[in-house]
Amino acid sequence: MTFSARRIFAILQKDYKDLSRNLYVTTTLFMPLLMAALFGRMGMGTISSYYIVINMGFILVATYVQSALIAEEKEKNTLRGLMLSPASTMEIFCGKSLLSFIATAVVVTGSILLSNYNPRNMAVIAIALLLSAVFYVGLGTLIGLFTKSVMEASVVIVPVMLIFTSGSLLIPLIEKYPVLAVVEYMPNLQLLELADRVETGAGLGDTLLHLLVILAWVLVIHAVAAYVYKKRMVDE
Amino acid sequence: MTVLAIRQLESYSEHSVVFPAFTMELTRHEAVALHTGMNVRSVLLGMLTGKLPVTGGEICINGHIYTGRIREAAPDTGFLLLEEGHYTRLTVKENLRFYSKLYGSGRPVDEIIRMVRLDTKAGVRLSALSHSERKRVQYARLIIQDPQLLICEEPDQNVDNETKLVFRRLVQQVCESGKAVLIITGNMETALSVTNQVYRLDEKGLQAFDIQAGEESSTGSAVSEQDADTYRQSADEAEPLPEEGGHPDSEMSTEDELPDEAGQTLQLFRFEKIPTRMNDKIILFNPPEIDYVESSDGQTRLSIGGELYPTAFKINELEERLHSYGFFRCHRSYLVNLQKVREVITFTRNSYSLVLDDTAKTSVPLSKTKMAELKEMMGLK
Repeated sequence: MTFSARRIFAILQKDYKDLSRNLYVTTTLFMPLLMAALFGRMGMGTISSYYIVINMGFILVATYVQSALIAEEKEKNTLRGLMLSPASTMEIFCGKSLLSFIATAVVVTGSILLSNYNPRNMAVIAIALLLSAVFYVGLGTLIGLFTKSVMEASVVIVPVMLIFTSGSLLIPLIEKYPVLAVVEYMPNLQLLELADRVETGAGLGDTLLHLLVILAWVLVIHAVAAYVYKKRMVDE
Repeated sequence: MTVLAIRQLESYSEHSVVFPAFTMELTRHEAVALHTGMNVRSVLLGMLTGKLPVTGGEICINGHIYTGRIREAAPDTGFLLLEEGHYTRLTVKENLRFYSKLYGSGRPVDEIIRMVRLDTKAGVRLSALSHSERKRVQYARLIIQDPQLLICEEPDQNVDNETKLVFRRLVQQVCESGKAVLIITGNMETALSVTNQVYRLDEKGLQAFDIQAGEESSTGSAVSEQDADTYRQSADEAEPLPEEGGHPDSEMSTEDELPDEAGQTLQLFRFEKIPTRMNDKIILFNPPEIDYVESSDGQTRLSIGGELYPTAFKINELEERLHSYGFFRCHRSYLVNLQKVREVITFTRNSYSLVLDDTAKTSVPLSKTKMAELKEMMGLK
């Protein structure tokens, strides 16, 4: 099987056009930007408030857009047609992930600018955000595979959004119940902790552990998505 | 060259046979229609698209033999499925551009849009198109894909005449350019409109329809006057299609009818259907549909599928009219369609009965004198 960039870009372009006309999805893209502008003007300059907005951007753009893209193909019965075409599964998912990834990059960058967040070490934060974006796109793929329609995907996204954006609120709870310490390894909390450390002047070496944990999440989520795809698509 | 070969393919679901083992081949430049029920259609398409495993036998596409589940046959095979999704937010042109890139086709999109007669709708989103127009977008996709083998599921169900025309042309062009087309449909009209090679696939197996003569005896009411006309013309050109081991019924009717049919063309036009009257309505029946004719109390009735329809004709008149269709006066008040007779039963030395091949196993009396005549006809004496 050949891996063709032409087909990936064809899928990317098609999905971009399709998405840009889907008001239902595009309006959610503006949510994080709106929140960022609001938080920025209100002068809530804590790291955790920045990251509430950034995480919301990840969930609403990377995860939600990706899951909607996949669920819609299933809902409209077009995925089968794509799979019968010369495009391989890898190419189909690459095309879709690439679009979600680009959208995420644009929206997250936009919301960082709007909320006036200036990290002390931009490079480390950029790497961490990039890895997180890949993780959230993978999460979106997984949700897209489990759901059958855009409607279903937008319902599933609500608890996911609660879990991943309320990260900082969980910290007091962890102090009270030590069992919950596991939660600290969640990618959103790792990102938050990393950002905190960067503000205190940590470099790449000091934050390597956090980056590795996020990287592990990236690998796990994509492996799970690939497994679920194999299991589910054979049945259908 | 063989594009698609199906060898000894069979399918069973639990206790029933979907279709027994059959073998067929499809070569280049050829279009073949399979007339099937819904059950057979979904199983066969499931196997061809790789949804269902090939349980018994094998399918061979372009020289690759598949048993088990078909995968990666896609590049050579194009599917026109009944329930296919569309990107409804994209316009016709955007859709086709996408397919063009996906399949790496070099043909200009505008030309294809013209071929499927969507030029006025090129900039319209698919959500605003009618069902027929969307079907044409599907045809366009296949033109772009340009596969060696085209498999169509109910290609022109619920579409307008323009779309049917586009589809017929598409099949013609595909065949001319050396590709093969397989049409799987439950509609005989669809099958006949695109090809002369029609097979029936059901739980009894694969049977070839002898289009020239078999058409009438097997499709009954589906054949319109227009078809009957073309049939008469083609009958003049002699040579029925080679009978590929078809069912004996149709062969028999070929021999019985052909000379007479040729004679009829000289009489210009003769109305062949038998009118019956029921509740102030006149219903017309094709002679091959009729099981038998019975006459009692001066009233003649046609029996069709277990129901009796009174007609104004006398049984003697009907005998004359229906003689060429293989009807036999088996009794003073009975006229039977010989092609529907399954058994001849002897009760005593002097009384006989004909059992018909219908669900109710109707029996029709056969008088002793006529028995001798029948034996003679069947060449038993």
